Amino acid sequence: MTIGTGKMRIGLLAAALLAGTGLLAQPALAGKSDNSVHLAYDQAPENVDPFFNNVRIGVIIGQHVWDTLIYRDPDTGEYKGQLAKSWRQVDDRTLEFDLREGVKFHNGEEFDADDVVYTLNFVSKPDSGVTTQQNVAWIEKAEKLDKYKVRVTTKQVFPAAIEYLSGPVVMHPNEYYAKVGPQGQNQKPVGTGPFRVAAHEMGKSITLEKNPDYFKDSPKKQGPIETVEIRFIPDRQTQMAEVLSEGVDLIMHVPKDQADQIGMVPHLKVVSGETMRIVFMQMNTLDNTPAPALKDERVRRAIIHAIDRETMVKEIVGAGSRVIHTICFPEQFGCTDEGAPRYEYDPAKARQLLKEARFPNGIELNIVAYRERNQTEAMIGYLQAAGIKANLNFLQYAAMREQIRGNKAMLTHQTWGSFSVNDVSASTPVYFKFESDDITRDPEVRDLLQKGDTSVDPEARKEAYGKALALIAERAYAVPLYSLPVYYVAAKDLEFKAYADEMPRFWEMTWN
Amino acid sequence: MTGTAFPPATSAPSSAAAVAELSAGARLRRRMFGQKSFVFGVGLLLVIVAVALLAPVLAPHDPYAQNLSQRMVPPFWYAKGGWEHLLGTDNLGRDYLSRLLYGARISLLIGLSVMVISGLIGTTLGLLAGYFGGKADLIVTFLITTRLAMPVILVALAVVAMVGGSLPVVILVLGLLKWDRFAVVMRSATQQARALDYVTAAEAAGASTPRIILGEILPNVFPQLIVVATLEAASAILLEAALSFLGLGVQPPLPSWGLMISEAKTYMFFSFWLIAIPGTLLALLVLSINLAGDGLRDVVAPEGRG
Repeated sequence: MTIGTGKMRIGLLAAALLAGTGLLAQPALAGKSDNSVHLAYDQAPENVDPFFNNVRIGVIIGQHVWDTLIYRDPDTGEYKGQLAKSWRQVDDRTLEFDLREGVKFHNGEEFDADDVVYTLNFVSKPDSGVTTQQNVAWIEKAEKLDKYKVRVTTKQVFPAAIEYLSGPVVMHPNEYYAKVGPQGQNQKPVGTGPFRVAAHEMGKSITLEKNPDYFKDSPKKQGPIETVEIRFIPDRQTQMAEVLSEGVDLIMHVPKDQADQIGMVPHLKVVSGETMRIVFMQMNTLDNTPAPALKDERVRRAIIHAIDRETMVKEIVGAGSRVIHTICFPEQFGCTDEGAPRYEYDPAKARQLLKEARFPNGIELNIVAYRERNQTEAMIGYLQAAGIKANLNFLQYAAMREQIRGNKAMLTHQTWGSFSVNDVSASTPVYFKFESDDITRDPEVRDLLQKGDTSVDPEARKEAYGKALALIAERAYAVPLYSLPVYYVAAKDLEFKAYADEMPRFWEMTWN
Repeated sequence: MTGTAFPPATSAPSSAAAVAELSAGARLRRRMFGQKSFVFGVGLLLVIVAVALLAPVLAPHDPYAQNLSQRMVPPFWYAKGGWEHLLGTDNLGRDYLSRLLYGARISLLIGLSVMVISGLIGTTLGLLAGYFGGKADLIVTFLITTRLAMPVILVALAVVAMVGGSLPVVILVLGLLKWDRFAVVMRSATQQARALDYVTAAEAAGASTPRIILGEILPNVFPQLIVVATLEAASAILLEAALSFLGLGVQPPLPSWGLMISEAKTYMFFSFWLIAIPGTLLALLVLSINLAGDGLRDVVAPEGRG
């Protein structure tokens, strides 16, 4: 008996030592043992308040810590009640919502009409300085009808309102928010969501824990995951090393090459799928552009002809990606490439166009980029082959946005996920309707987009958007590239689904 | 115990006499080829220089030509490698050997230009301070201490981040930052030389100050200058690699060894040769410059051998 225990003890000790040095085939997983998930992400949001950042990780945190009035089922596309039980369209510009009763914010504050009215009126006021203007600019006002009834008026006819209210427009607690403001929400975020913020070390990590008081009828059903730790690790190699050594359980936006290679590691798996994120290149044609050459349409056409998008998709972007011909995601309502000219890959033609534009010796431009650096470099290689020397300026997103909005950018390697809103109003207008990221500013395009955003008749909307998209392509204001797939690398036992909206849903995840 | 295993003491004078009989050129040759490390360093350096100069002839492919369907081909000694791309291709399908050959040009260009710029600044300051002493010395010493107070890599990073990285910027920034060691060494060497009789003799003969500095002192402090110059060239090459690795040096798609290491770090877990090859070359280049510098010092001024 004693001998047996002794042997066992030695065996356990040896196992522990082996596990410690990582020699054991099946070491204990960091997250599996306590139902936690550790995610590493490369960009830190400047503010986790969903109205004050426009990066993907902000959307992810937003959907976990906060709730929206309506929920769109990612599998069926069906709208379901979340903080609102039901809603109806009163007239072209008015919506009414019956709110759910008995919902509590993480700080104990009760959710009611005052919160909705406060949030919508605050964010739609231009001087609130909301970063994501296009998500809220359509709201004229919100009014309280009674404690659980709210009326929302849109500035113009805005058919996509429900889509926005089920995505980026989350509900803040009015009393707390009035007191602490966006900065306070960043330091100590408070929402109604299925997770609450346990700790937020700005720029380093944010830890979420399961909200024990979450309302049971929510379409976001709480699962077994107790805590979620999101660490901001800008360097891809460090992320790789972390996931290889089981310091984190999940990384996302992994380049195809690395995903292919890492898929062979026994304790990891790769999950991938297409996303709504489109990749395109903006070309600054504003009056005082730092690159006057770009004002010449022939130069812009040359740039589009120079890039071999098909090969890029096939070789370095990966499965689940497709080439796009207009600046929107093909499945968004109103997105079409009908009537838009296509620019085939033709470096000789690009050179010819440059010659016609009186740049026989080529031109030199800067390109600013913030993610998928290998893709930027491939584009630079293609441009170089056509006589366009592009100098890379690789930055964090906020710095790149500053360059764009400050009219310092020439070419940009942009990506846009439309906040997962399935309507063109969330993509094309952001870059072409004279908003801050618009560096081409064509009034004709703006008017067509405006018409599409504000018409009631779906056919009229489609027509207006179609014309705008065709015009953008015809005048070669941007290089439409491709949609991005997302590659997740995760611990083998972590069960989850890759959705097109690039949203890992921690409330659905399970450990096997 | 004076066994026959030891050479008889009497043979020493005779061999010294033999050396004395040799011509100056032969003595130099003997000193040069007598040092294995010098021969190795210079030989290696010559090979690298030759390769860099002949890159357009030697390179089997255009170093900028990308072929996305031929990416990450391993070198020929792997089963999946082939003779088409001897050292394989990088993550954009560019021929790795060609990029390495052209990359040698960038590294040498940077090493040499930085050495010349910083050498000119540092030597001038050092000579002036050492020869004139007094106020000139005070000013130069002040400049040196000011310069030494600033960490090179930090200042270089800040400047490059502000101005934007490119080959001329990197060369200029490093050139303007790395003159301190030249100045320090030249200053003390000049101070020593200035007190020697031949300088006094030149002064007595009525030689002009520039003539004394350039004709009498400079040639006599040359051995020290060479050592510093090689050290600085090697360290400039390393600094450029560090800057490029951090993304602030030479910009893609220019092939620089530092940049290649930086680009390859994404793939180091699975395709280690991408990082190992330019890394080894960089180490060899720096080693060869240092060995050559050491050896040259011994050849030119054997009495200074430590």
